[in-house]
Amino acid sequence: MTTTTTATGTLPAARVVDAVKVYGSGDTAVRALDGVSVDFPVGRFTAIMGPSGSGKSTLMHCAAGLDTLTSGAAHIGDTELGSLDDRRLTLLRRDRVGFVFQAFNLVPTLTVAENIRLPLDLAGTKGDQEWIDSLIDVVGLRDRLHHRPSELSGGQQQRVAVARAFAGRPDVVFADEPTGNLDSRSGGEVLGLLGRAVRRTARTVVMVTHDPVAAAHADEVVFLADGRLVDRMESPTADKVLDRMKALEVPS
Amino acid sequence: MNASVRLSVSSLRAHKRRFAGTFLAVFLGVAFLAGTLVMGDTLRAGFDTMFGNATSGTDAVVRSADAITTPGESEGVRQPVATDLVNAVEQVPGVAAAAPNIQGAGQLVGANGKPIGGQGPPTLAGNWIADEKLNSYRLAEGRAPERSGEVVVNRGTAEKGDLRIGDTTTLRTPDPVKVTIVGLATFGGEDGMAQVTFTGMTRADAEKYLTARPGEAASIQVRAGPGVSQQELVDRLTPVLPEGVEAITGQESAEENTDMISSQFLTLFTTFLLVFSGVALLVATFSIHNTFAIVVAQRAGENALLRALGASRRQVTAATLVEASVVAVFASAAGLAGGIGVAAGLQALFPAIGFPFPEGDLVISGVSMALPLAVGIVVCLGSALLPAVRAGRTAPLAALRETALDTTGASRVRAVTGMGLAALAVAVTLTGVLVSPSLWLAGTGAVLALASFVVLGPVASTTAVRVLGGPLDRLRGVTGGLARRNALRSPRRTAATASALMIGVAVVSLFTVFGASLKATMDQTVSRSFAGDVAVSTPSFGAGGSGLSPQLAGAVQELPEVDTAVGLGRGVAEVDGKGRALTVTDPLALERTFDLGTVDGSLRDLGTDGIAITENEADKQGLTTGDTTRLTFTDGTTRTFTVRAVYGQSELAGEYVITRAAWAPHRTQDTDTLVAVSFKDGVSTDTGKAAVEKVAERYGNPEVQTRDEYAQSSAGGIDMMLTLVYALLALAVLIALLGIANTLTLAIHERTRELGLLRAVGQTRSQLRAMVRWESVLVAAFGTVGGLALGAFLGWVLVKASDGASDSSFAFAMPPLQLAVVALVGLAAGALAGLRPARRAARLDVLRAIATE
Repeated sequence: MTTTTTATGTLPAARVVDAVKVYGSGDTAVRALDGVSVDFPVGRFTAIMGPSGSGKSTLMHCAAGLDTLTSGAAHIGDTELGSLDDRRLTLLRRDRVGFVFQAFNLVPTLTVAENIRLPLDLAGTKGDQEWIDSLIDVVGLRDRLHHRPSELSGGQQQRVAVARAFAGRPDVVFADEPTGNLDSRSGGEVLGLLGRAVRRTARTVVMVTHDPVAAAHADEVVFLADGRLVDRMESPTADKVLDRMKALEVPS
Repeated sequence: MNASVRLSVSSLRAHKRRFAGTFLAVFLGVAFLAGTLVMGDTLRAGFDTMFGNATSGTDAVVRSADAITTPGESEGVRQPVATDLVNAVEQVPGVAAAAPNIQGAGQLVGANGKPIGGQGPPTLAGNWIADEKLNSYRLAEGRAPERSGEVVVNRGTAEKGDLRIGDTTTLRTPDPVKVTIVGLATFGGEDGMAQVTFTGMTRADAEKYLTARPGEAASIQVRAGPGVSQQELVDRLTPVLPEGVEAITGQESAEENTDMISSQFLTLFTTFLLVFSGVALLVATFSIHNTFAIVVAQRAGENALLRALGASRRQVTAATLVEASVVAVFASAAGLAGGIGVAAGLQALFPAIGFPFPEGDLVISGVSMALPLAVGIVVCLGSALLPAVRAGRTAPLAALRETALDTTGASRVRAVTGMGLAALAVAVTLTGVLVSPSLWLAGTGAVLALASFVVLGPVASTTAVRVLGGPLDRLRGVTGGLARRNALRSPRRTAATASALMIGVAVVSLFTVFGASLKATMDQTVSRSFAGDVAVSTPSFGAGGSGLSPQLAGAVQELPEVDTAVGLGRGVAEVDGKGRALTVTDPLALERTFDLGTVDGSLRDLGTDGIAITENEADKQGLTTGDTTRLTFTDGTTRTFTVRAVYGQSELAGEYVITRAAWAPHRTQDTDTLVAVSFKDGVSTDTGKAAVEKVAERYGNPEVQTRDEYAQSSAGGIDMMLTLVYALLALAVLIALLGIANTLTLAIHERTRELGLLRAVGQTRSQLRAMVRWESVLVAAFGTVGGLALGAFLGWVLVKASDGASDSSFAFAMPPLQLAVVALVGLAAGALAGLRPARRAARLDVLRAIATE
């Protein structure tokens, strides 16, 4: 496992090309994405930022294969998502993509351990037990393995979700406002986890957020406004991101 | 519009789908109930009209006043009247015509050599009354019988036997008589009186074949002259009649006939159907209650908001109740229409399956509409009452919390109450079964047992689902595990859903066990008390058929292969003031072909004033050998009989045995019901049977059966009954199925986000479908297992209580194969119920599911 970022020229973990997403039709049509092209390179932690309605969640959903584009293309590795039927898309999500949502991330009837293994169990594979063990240690939940989600705090639940997202060694993990429901300390822990996972294990994470502090944990931030890519920022800090966001929110 | 009403209406409009199951459950129950009532009324009216038409020309009927009715029979046996009486009657002023009505059993043999009818309704033969108005049958084709051997048959019988005018066939009276059909008749405008077959012969033939002595008739039909009313006619006739003979008006006679058909057939039929609509409605209650309970739980947030905004408890409760009322009224009204449709459908269907339904319009009475409507509304509102009250109790604060789903488990109170009920049920039942046998106690115990099962359902569901679902984890991996845990989520809901199916399955198992036990009882009876090799009998199910010729036993006895052949005839008399069936036979031969148990005294010399009785009856009446008892016969004579023997076993031989010689002076038409034959040593059953069959052919070809065949055919009626029961219970199972489907649909709605999450992290559509289906199967399995246990227990109770409460002994039998089939059907029902909810769940849009707040 390398700790360096991937050299240019190799395939990005995920990318969208000329992505257009239109909701509705006729007078009520809304262009949520209006020709976005963006790469998410392997081994990088990328944050997508933008004001409400900028299309950042739509971009993530389309890039992750949860939603389909009106036109343009979305790829996970070398797989073009538009050509896949529902079944293949599901299998792709199961085997090659991880998810962390804002809320309701865990199945309430399953224990912590079972929730972590869920994608593997659904696939009917054993997975890499050593890897999962190390994940459990990283998220620090070894003593909670047989608890139910309802017995955990919000931060703990989100850490379980992170462990699950990485359990199947996916090509890319998508996180949708993973700290939206958490206080700043728990949120910091979850973001630290995501960052460590990327740096130590060369995983790829794409995170949607509206919180500059959260975005500051990423290697790079891409800014969206009105369905278009408006800016990219390497090595962000909270202040820089906040300034950029302010500029976006005030129409020039 | 009132605020509560407005809220309910808008809620109903928004959630039409979730009430579809409730609507269907009420609809089906009400339709079945209304259909039964309408059909009962229509049939009764039809028979009324038919008898009215058929006997409109008869103004008075003269007959013996006293009838002896034996237990289990609706129609008493009357002594015949002398045909001479016709002359005296004709002299009475005001009488226009009078004719004797000679009636007996007579079964026609069809063109294919098989007897027609005899599987229930009577097969009658009588004299063809020349006076058209006095004859209840009308000649439709051909002519009246003029010479010996000529007969008129009712059109329905002719059609069934494929017989035409000019055909020659055999009439079993029970001695075979060669007859030629010269005419076809109708009864009250129909092709027959329901399925009763009728053969009209000349008066001379009727007297010769149908009565014990010439000069006797069942009754005398009288027609009044112009201006004489029926009552006047009866008043004038009465003084000229000898003692013991009475006259009744034609109208009374017609009503008696209708009542007889009603009590024999219609009442039984409608009661049967009403019981099943009751079961269906009980099952529906559970489904409806569950739907409302879930809807109220899901709407807790909404209701709390209403409360926070100032709605009173009463308003919130009322809103839910109004909702229930709207569903109840619409579904019940639709059910009424459905019920009329069911009745109309049956009216059209019956003739197609060979049952002449009397024609006429459907009779839709106020009661048959008001009752199902009321029951439907009460059931629906009653089921919704508890959830509505719970809705009213929603705390305003609940609006601020996240919607709490109903995951409450079983409370201690419930567990204690349930256990208490169960203990009480077992105690009462066992007392009713073992200590002081009483059907009433056992019945109370059964109801208590049902109640305890329903109360204990949520307590048991957790453990039961865990155990039943155990193999799922291993077999179906995470899909199975998720299904099992989903079924465990709300024990109360799972239990309520399963209860509906449980009741259906319990009733099915109860009948299955009871039916198997009856069969085993018959089997045991035959194998224990029938010591012969073959039996010649008429169908044992129902009252039809013409019996066996009394000459048959004698003719079989002549065969070189036969050791003993004994015919058993049937007589009636009042013993100790109560009507009893007598077995008329040769007691000596009886002893050789039947195992009578231990015999105290001797059957050797019963003579004309001796009687043999069972231990049971002897004990009841305090008789022992040497005592005397008085028998009153239908002819009004009373004779003193000496008890010469007391025997242990009664089953096939009957409770009272007298000789043919003792019966002869009181007999009516001579028939045997059973001829038991034992072969000489060294004669194989096949050879012997073939020889007996050859003789039987000469006597109308009744069926000759080996012991095993005889035992099996004795139980044949039970299978028929079970088939009917299963068909009717399918409705209850269908309603239970709707309940499961509805609960699942609502549960899936609750779990939208969770399902979305599962899909997002890689659960395929087929995995999701399997998960929902397995949950459904698990709930069904819980209901099925509970139902099987309850049904088997109740079956055991019924058998044991019947055994204790009646004289004859009942054997208990568990039919493993049939019960396994019942279990499989229950599971299949679960899988079926899960199909639609599973499909709907799989169609879920992942993104929208996750986004749902």
